[in-house]
Amino acid sequence: MKRATFILSRLGQTLLVLLVVATLLFLIFRLMPGNPLVAYLDPTFTEEMAQQLRRQFGLDQPLHTQYFAFLRNVIRGQFGNSFFTREPVNQVIWNVLPNTLVLTLASLILAYIVGVLGGALLAARRGSWVEHWGIPTVLATRAAPEFWVGMLALAIFSFSLNWFPFGGATSPGSVFPSMWAQILSLDFLHHLALPAFTLALYLQGLPTLLMRNSMLEVMDEDFITFARMRGLPERTIILRHAARNALLPVVTAFALGIGYSIGGNVIIETVFSWPGLGRTLVRAVAAKDYPVAQAAFLMIAVVMIGMNFVADLFYSLLDPRVSHERR
Amino acid sequence: MARNWFRITVVTLVLALALGAVATGQSPDRRVRELIMLTRPQAVDAREFEMARFLAPEFEKLGVKVTVRVMPWEQMADYVWYSRDKWDMTMWQMVGRPERSDPDEFAMNLFHSSTAVNGYNFVGYQNRTYDNIALAQRIKTDLKSRQQLIREAQKIIARDVPYVFLVFPQSTYAYNNTVWDPKTVIEQTGLGIKNFWTFDQARPLSGQQDMILNTNDTLQAINPLYISGAADSWVTELIWDRLFRVGADGLPRPWAAEKADWVDSVTLDVTLRRGMKWHDGKPVTADDVIFSFTAPMGDEVPMYKPFVRNIDKIEKRSDTVIRFVLKEPYAPFLIASLSKLNIIPKHIWEPVLADLAKKPENAESYQEATPIGSGPFKFVQWKKSEEVVLEAVPDHFAAPKMKRWILRIIPNVEASLGGLRQGQLNFLGNYSGDPEILDKLVKENRSLTLVSTMDVGMRFLAFNLRRPPFDDVVFRQALNMATNKKAIRSVVWKGYAAIADSFVSPALEFWYNPELPKWEYNIRAARDALAKAGYTWDREGRLLYPAGKTETLK
Repeated sequence: MKRATFILSRLGQTLLVLLVVATLLFLIFRLMPGNPLVAYLDPTFTEEMAQQLRRQFGLDQPLHTQYFAFLRNVIRGQFGNSFFTREPVNQVIWNVLPNTLVLTLASLILAYIVGVLGGALLAARRGSWVEHWGIPTVLATRAAPEFWVGMLALAIFSFSLNWFPFGGATSPGSVFPSMWAQILSLDFLHHLALPAFTLALYLQGLPTLLMRNSMLEVMDEDFITFARMRGLPERTIILRHAARNALLPVVTAFALGIGYSIGGNVIIETVFSWPGLGRTLVRAVAAKDYPVAQAAFLMIAVVMIGMNFVADLFYSLLDPRVSHERR
Repeated sequence: MARNWFRITVVTLVLALALGAVATGQSPDRRVRELIMLTRPQAVDAREFEMARFLAPEFEKLGVKVTVRVMPWEQMADYVWYSRDKWDMTMWQMVGRPERSDPDEFAMNLFHSSTAVNGYNFVGYQNRTYDNIALAQRIKTDLKSRQQLIREAQKIIARDVPYVFLVFPQSTYAYNNTVWDPKTVIEQTGLGIKNFWTFDQARPLSGQQDMILNTNDTLQAINPLYISGAADSWVTELIWDRLFRVGADGLPRPWAAEKADWVDSVTLDVTLRRGMKWHDGKPVTADDVIFSFTAPMGDEVPMYKPFVRNIDKIEKRSDTVIRFVLKEPYAPFLIASLSKLNIIPKHIWEPVLADLAKKPENAESYQEATPIGSGPFKFVQWKKSEEVVLEAVPDHFAAPKMKRWILRIIPNVEASLGGLRQGQLNFLGNYSGDPEILDKLVKENRSLTLVSTMDVGMRFLAFNLRRPPFDDVVFRQALNMATNKKAIRSVVWKGYAAIADSFVSPALEFWYNPELPKWEYNIRAARDALAKAGYTWDREGRLLYPAGKTETLK
């Protein structure tokens, strides 16, 4: 019962936050200097055409009319047509979202598996050469600019060794019967490898260091000392007792990481010419494509807020000490 | 106490000095105000930004204060276009396109006074004599006298300096010469080797039958009735035929038309080529052609409307002969209209347009799942943000030699060079990076060939003629003389550009006027010209307006 009230009140808060986000998004793009019509400026562009475009885009309406129309449409899941490609916005996003999710989730999972294990190892081997070499390596890969690592990866593995293609998600001219067939194909995996590893290399720093710190804290606690006194093997202590308890902050970070990954990664997508949402989004903002930018940011906000919510729920499952009662 | 007196003395002294400076100096209202030069950010267009940074200190040598203000394109264009009284000067560019091989578009739309209010004459240039010449060249169907008028127009613009023309950049492209027969890669005047003729005629030398080329920008649409992004037009040109096409020499040549004969100065009989087919197998008829030219006259195809505005009526004389009757003589008709409009299948678009007429959207919003044209290539697939694949139509009257044409969207410029070197690309269709790097790459790889062509597009600095001091031709001429174009060419463009002095590229030999007044870089001469016109300088060296002239801004 208490949990139900908790969930309901959180849902209410979430909706309110989303309304605020939607309003801000609506205003931000319209208040930014610039004008979506300039994409059409040409010596043969006439004022008549400009009028027609304004009408089509709904920009001839007063701001509050535009705002309420926007809210009405959002509730119905309609985001209108892109100013730029003239396609429905849902379609614009759907065209690239699967590519983005596959790339970011693959590298996120890879990074967290490596990070959790590596962090546990760093904590367990505190003071040894593993830590002396491990931490600077983790910090260096985390701090290295992604575009630089990406270009290096391209220069070595694509242009010199010729192991991987240099860009895109599929080979030139390859035809697939469906999006699923494409994502499950070897060709796609072959294209995915370099960007996914580069992104994972960047992402692993956070879980590794988080896990290590959290582990070190847990290792000082009484129940670990007690476990040692019981004569349990060190491996069991580290993995069964310490690591499980140290995972909490890492899980939160993972859930938030999923939230972030929905927006894609512009740098990786640009370096590897990956057809993802990040590039689409940047383009939409630059070209003042309000409908696409609004929809994409709103979607990111929904996922981010949702993931926060999920992380909260997970806490209570992983650690029964976390309760939802009001204190 | 003594300290206090000291303080008061110092303050009084400083105040007195300051007041004295104002009193003895020139009245500040004659000073030319700080001038703002707009440019796009370095990250977007490094050369434009560098040129602006280069120009500002040169102009300051004349005693004006110039501030370079960086704005994203969407903001800058919005400001220049919709706040016509507000800005001072702006960097700008016109890009090369096949139909710009005819000077009419620039001559008319950039400088004719009718486009000053809300058209492309955003500088607000007003000149009766020029207006008359720009209009006259349109109706002179006699080439020689039209040439004379275009050259006269260039002379007037060179003298009146609404723009400081900076450079005509080189369009540089490269390809793999072990894949494509160099004899069949065609260089088009003012555009370079990336053009329709190369795509149609390039002959594969090896097992690689597909042309794989790059562009750095995502496509917006593949739609014959929507003039969208630059890369989009490479695709539409290949899928849809046109009655005429701009040839490699820059002149219109019959394409889907077998021939075209002027009956009189406003009547043109076009004979359609026989045996053409749409990609869905149906024949191309005179009715399709008539439909293609009447559709934009309605309200559903706004972007093509300007190109049919001058057509009075279109008659079908026989199954193959179509008569165009113009409202008034229009010399560039073959290039500006017949080479511009895509011929579209009536059986597909008639119902679509009828349906759209009932909706707020127009033809630009309609994306065919499989675009159908009659061109030398047919549509295979379009993976958004990734690639467009076209396939050769073997029974087209000018069937391509290659099998497929694959346009990859590669936003990473450096990676596209790597791909070219290593063979994952075999035609470099877009390169915005450092030309020297490309040059070096090609020199190190014998299998690569680079072709650099002078563009019909140009870079320039535009003045707002509505605002002082730019309303004074002497001032504009002085700024022109303070522009070191040679240095811009060699430092900013590293030599990969030609110095510009006109809106017509020297690449268009027939139209370009080689005898334009030359404004050599000469700060002294520029200052002398200003002094002669009554400008003076104050003690700090700042330029003052001639006596009697005041700065009034809207």
